[in-house]
Amino acid sequence: MSGGILAMRSRSKPDPPAAAFLAPSVLLQALLFLCPLAIIAGYSLLSRGAYGGVELAVSFENYQRLFDPLYGAILLRSVWLASISTLLCLVLGFPLALFIARSGRRKGLYLQLVILPFWTSFLIRTYAWIFLLRDTGLVNTVLTAAGLITQPLPLLYNDAAVVLGLVYGYLPFMVLPLYATIERLDKSLLEAAADLGATPWKTLWTVVLPLCRPGIVAGVVLVFIPCLGAYLTPDLMGGGKTIMIGNLVQNQFSTARDWPFGAALSLALMALVMALLMAMSRRRGGQQAEDLL
Amino acid sequence: MRPSVLNRRAFLAASAGAAACARDPRPRLNVFNWSDYIAPQVIPNFEREFGVRVRYGVYEVTEEMVARVWSGNSGWDVVFPSNSYVEPLRQAGLLQRLNHARLPGLANLERLFQAPLWDRGLDWSMPYMWGATGIVYQRTLDPAPRAWRDLWSAPLKGRMTMLDDPAEVLGACLKKLGYSVNATSPTELAAAKQEAVTQKAVLRAYLNAEVRDQLIAGDLLAAQAWRLTAQQAIDGAPERLEFVFPEEGFPIYADCACILRESKRSELAHEFLDYLLRPEVAAATAVAMKTSTCNGAARPLLPPAVRDSPIYYPPADVLARGEWFTPVPAAAQRLRDRLWTEIKSA
Repeated sequence: MSGGILAMRSRSKPDPPAAAFLAPSVLLQALLFLCPLAIIAGYSLLSRGAYGGVELAVSFENYQRLFDPLYGAILLRSVWLASISTLLCLVLGFPLALFIARSGRRKGLYLQLVILPFWTSFLIRTYAWIFLLRDTGLVNTVLTAAGLITQPLPLLYNDAAVVLGLVYGYLPFMVLPLYATIERLDKSLLEAAADLGATPWKTLWTVVLPLCRPGIVAGVVLVFIPCLGAYLTPDLMGGGKTIMIGNLVQNQFSTARDWPFGAALSLALMALVMALLMAMSRRRGGQQAEDLL
Repeated sequence: MRPSVLNRRAFLAASAGAAACARDPRPRLNVFNWSDYIAPQVIPNFEREFGVRVRYGVYEVTEEMVARVWSGNSGWDVVFPSNSYVEPLRQAGLLQRLNHARLPGLANLERLFQAPLWDRGLDWSMPYMWGATGIVYQRTLDPAPRAWRDLWSAPLKGRMTMLDDPAEVLGACLKKLGYSVNATSPTELAAAKQEAVTQKAVLRAYLNAEVRDQLIAGDLLAAQAWRLTAQQAIDGAPERLEFVFPEEGFPIYADCACILRESKRSELAHEFLDYLLRPEVAAATAVAMKTSTCNGAARPLLPPAVRDSPIYYPPADVLARGEWFTPVPAAAQRLRDRLWTEIKSA
C-alpha cells in the first residue's frame, strides 16, 4: 500500500536526480582524495629535484628501484612487525571485547574507556611510554626498588618496544569491531550449545569464534594496515635503529629529498594493501567484514 | 576615535581587522626562522621601533623551509638557511643580493664570518648563529671520550646514542677514518657506512633532542649531540655532564639570514637584518637561546660564564679542527641516502 503511494508521488513529482545528492561527496572525493593521489602518481614518474621537489623528466626508474633487495628486506620487516602486532591485538582484544559485551549496564563506560586514549595525541602518548620504559623510567625504577632487578632492563629501543607501541596504539581498532559482532551474536545459539552439553571452551571455539569471523577480519584489517605504514612508533620506541616502510617513505620526503621515489614507494604500499584487501574480500566472511567496516 | 565612545561600527571594524589582520596599515615583514631561534622580545621591539608588523613563522628542519620557498612565491621575505644551503638557494635564483650600504652592522661580525667559505663577499647571506657537533658525556666515564673513535668502545654498550641525521652519523664515521665530513668518494662513504654498521652493536638509539633528558636522567653515558642540545643538557646537570669537540675534527655550521628574491619589502628586510646585527640584539638572542652568535661585537655583552666558555666559543686551535658542511653533489647525495637506509636496516 505505502509503496503504491510512494510510486504515485514519484510519478506526479519526480525526485531530484541522484546526481544532485551525490555531487557534494563526489566533488569532495575528487578534490581531496583523487587529486592528491593523481599528484603522487605523477610525481612518482618524474625525477628527483636536487633540493626537494621534482624535475620534469619522465622516468620509470623509481619503480625499478622498488625491486632492490634492500627495500624488499624493509618491506618484509614491516610486514613481520605488523603481523605480530595484529596477532597480539587479536589475542588481547578478543577477551576484552567479550568481557565488554557481557558486562551489562557498564558496557557504555567500558567502551568509553577503550576510546579514551584518543583524547590525547598519539605522539604525546608515545612519549609517555618512553618515560615509562626508559632506564630511569617508572617500570625500571619500581622493579629496582622492589629488588627484582639490579640492572635496568632494556625495555626501550628494540623490536619488542616497537611492537608494544603498535599494539598499544591500535588495540581499540581491534576491540571495537569485535565488540560489534559479539554484541550481535544470537544468545540462543550459546544456550543451545550449553543445552547440548558443550563446555564453555567448546562453545567458544565452535560457535562464538566462527560467528565472530567478520569482526575478526575487520579488526585485523583495521590494525594491520596502519601498523604496516607506521613511522612514528618505530622512530620513537625503536630509537630509529631499524626502519619500517613508513620511515622509508618519510625519509624520502625529508632528509633524502627524493620525492619521486617516496611517491613510488607510497603507491607501491597502497597497491599492496589494496591487493590484500581484495584477496580478503573474495574469501568467506570478507563481505560481512566489509559491511562492518 | 575617542576611547570612551566605541560605537558598533567602530567595534565591528576593529574586530574584523583584528580577525583578518588585513586593515592594519603598517607594512608587514614575513620572517621564517628556525623554532627557538630568537629572543622573545626581539620581534616586538623591532615592530615598535620601526612601526611595522612581523609575521613570524618557524620550521624544524631546513628541508621544510626549502620546500616552501622553492616555488619562488611563498610569501616569506627573510629566511634562515644553514650555510650549506646558501649556495644552492642562490643558484636556484631564490635569493636577493644584500645591499651592504644598508647593512652597516655587518662590521660587527666575528672575523671568521666576515668572509665565510660559502659566501666570501657576504653577498647573499648574513651569518646569524653558529653551531658544531661533538660528544656530551658523563664525567664518571673513565677514560673520558676525547674522539669519535671512543664512541665505538664496548663499555658504552647500550648507553650511547648518535644523532638521527645521515650527514652527522656519516660525518662522524668519515672523521674517524680521517676523511672529510663532505666526502663524495664512494669508497670513503662505503667505509664510513661500515663503521656505522659496526657501531650499531654498542648503539642505544639514534636520537636528536631527546638525548637532553636522558643525559640528565643518567640513562646515557655518552651521546653525539649538537652543541646547543649539549649545552641544554649540561645546564640541567652541570656537575655531571661535559662536552668535548672530538679530536679527529667535527662538523660546524652557521645559520644565515637571507632575503628572498621574491620579497617586495627589500628595504624593510635589510632594516630587520641590520637590527639583528646590533650587538645588544644579537647578545639577547644568544643568551636566551644558548646559541653561539656570529656577532663579535655582541661577545663583550654576554655574561662572563657564556663569553669565556670553551664550549660556546672554543679557542682558535679547537675551532681549526672544525669543518664546514658544504653542499653535496646530487650523485653523492643519492649514495649517502642509500647508505643511510642500509645503516638503518642493518
